[in-house]
Amino acid sequence: MAAADSPSPALRRRDLCSRGIRLAGKMRADVVDLLDIYVEQQGLDASASVAAVEGVPLAAVERWDEQTGTQRLLENLAAYRAFRALLAQMLEEQREQLGEADEGLGRALAAVLLQVSAFAYHLEELLRLESRGIPGEEGDGPPPPPPRLSLFEQKLRGLGVLRELAQWAVRSARDLRQLAKPSPATGTAPGLAESP
Amino acid sequence: MANPVPSACCVVLAAVVMVYAQRQSQQDSPVQYERVGADVTMKCGSMDWDAAVTWTANGTDIDESHLNGSYLILKNVDLSQSGQYACYEGSSWHLKYQTSLRVGTPPKEPVLMCRSNNYPKGFYCSWHLPTPTYIPNTFNISVIHGTKDMVCEKDAIPKNRCHIRYLQLFSTVKYKVTLTVTNALGKNFTTLTFDEFAIVKPDPPESVVAKPVPNNPRRLEVSWQNPSSWPDPDSFPLKFFLRYRPLILDQWQHVELSDGTSHTITDAYAGKEYIIQVAAKDNDIGTWSDWSVAVHATPWTEEPKHLTTEAQITETTSASTSSFMAPPTTKICDKGAVVGSGAVAVCWTAGLVVAAYSVLFI
Repeated sequence: MAAADSPSPALRRRDLCSRGIRLAGKMRADVVDLLDIYVEQQGLDASASVAAVEGVPLAAVERWDEQTGTQRLLENLAAYRAFRALLAQMLEEQREQLGEADEGLGRALAAVLLQVSAFAYHLEELLRLESRGIPGEEGDGPPPPPPRLSLFEQKLRGLGVLRELAQWAVRSARDLRQLAKPSPATGTAPGLAESP
Repeated sequence: MANPVPSACCVVLAAVVMVYAQRQSQQDSPVQYERVGADVTMKCGSMDWDAAVTWTANGTDIDESHLNGSYLILKNVDLSQSGQYACYEGSSWHLKYQTSLRVGTPPKEPVLMCRSNNYPKGFYCSWHLPTPTYIPNTFNISVIHGTKDMVCEKDAIPKNRCHIRYLQLFSTVKYKVTLTVTNALGKNFTTLTFDEFAIVKPDPPESVVAKPVPNNPRRLEVSWQNPSSWPDPDSFPLKFFLRYRPLILDQWQHVELSDGTSHTITDAYAGKEYIIQVAAKDNDIGTWSDWSVAVHATPWTEEPKHLTTEAQITETTSASTSSFMAPPTTKICDKGAVVGSGAVAVCWTAGLVVAAYSVLFI
């Protein structure tokens, strides 16, 4: 393909952001559905408070509007890589506990895991577009799990993971909308032109 | 004869001084709060029980039947008994005691509401009492996010409202708002717990306009604007819900719109006045706004043709048959509207009818 036919970086960024926003929206809807299934299958109270779980990236952020584009992408990427590992762990625990007895929950978990992986890849694409180095994964992901959690503790941890993932899906859509906004001065997306 | 002007001035001056003195004394007198239905006993200062005294309520002497010695007894007080009570020594009319009695009730559980109509900037909480207490109340609000106390800044107007700026976004930690109401007769409180997303509810869309579309008797063009209180619709876009119905019907039609601030209604009944409203919601979180102010519009209609004589009809028929075409709303031979072989048969039938009619008038 001739170079003249490839879209400009700005257009490509906008396209990636738009698709990412749609992915995040779909992911959120599926995570919310998964939460309902999870709460029901695990016999949990949907309104139960769950303390912050070690290794689960928190979506909560201060001064969100002041973040640069690079910060947004890097924080999102770190989060979704962590969720990828956490969901894989949950799926493993689910299979150990219930085997094939609860295929619905397992399938729903696997579907969300796939979307999380896809979204992480999408974020990597955005970072590549900005010629930003993609951080390695060695330091990412959850720390080694603590000594075997009780079944109830595992269930609560899973609830915390899914709730936080739902928050991230909303935040990611907002982050990508910020990224897609043209900067008034340069015409590029705000925050991506400057380094953190 | 004495000059009446200075005398009149003296009378007016004396009246002003008296009113001022009375107001000052009322302000200075202690306030006594009592519950509706309570029995109230007032002592005439340091006067002995058997002293001769006169009690007044708002300047009017109180009947002796309400006295027990020099004590004033008010049984089962009601709201109408609020006022200024004073006790005077019998012979000298020296004021011995006065109080401002305020009859009221302790507060019931207050009604508290919190909402974010300007996400992601912050949220506000507003409150009221379900029933009046008839005496002054003090409201105290506390907001906790996790372990952090937050300050809810009171609004000047309205007085029963305060607002908070979000320090964090996208938090799963809930907010806990406690409102305590206190008056001289008691206190009460209520608590609300919610998460950041749940209370997001925009204001209704603004500047809703509905217009007919020229030469289109079944269309109405509707446009509106984002609520001005929504600070960043680019990053936090709203979606909209439009509802419309002809005035003559009760059932609404609904359309959900994920972007844009306009919509064309294409199935309006010709010639019927419509009522239209729009609501807004953040694309991802929260609840729908209230409905906007309703607007009315009627689709475009063709100008009514003047009645013609038979001769004029004959004259015009040979030139054109357009006057015999079915009105646009009932186009049954429209290519876009007709589907299937049954509809084709209907078309041919209509054509034959038109042709027969034309022949009759040639």
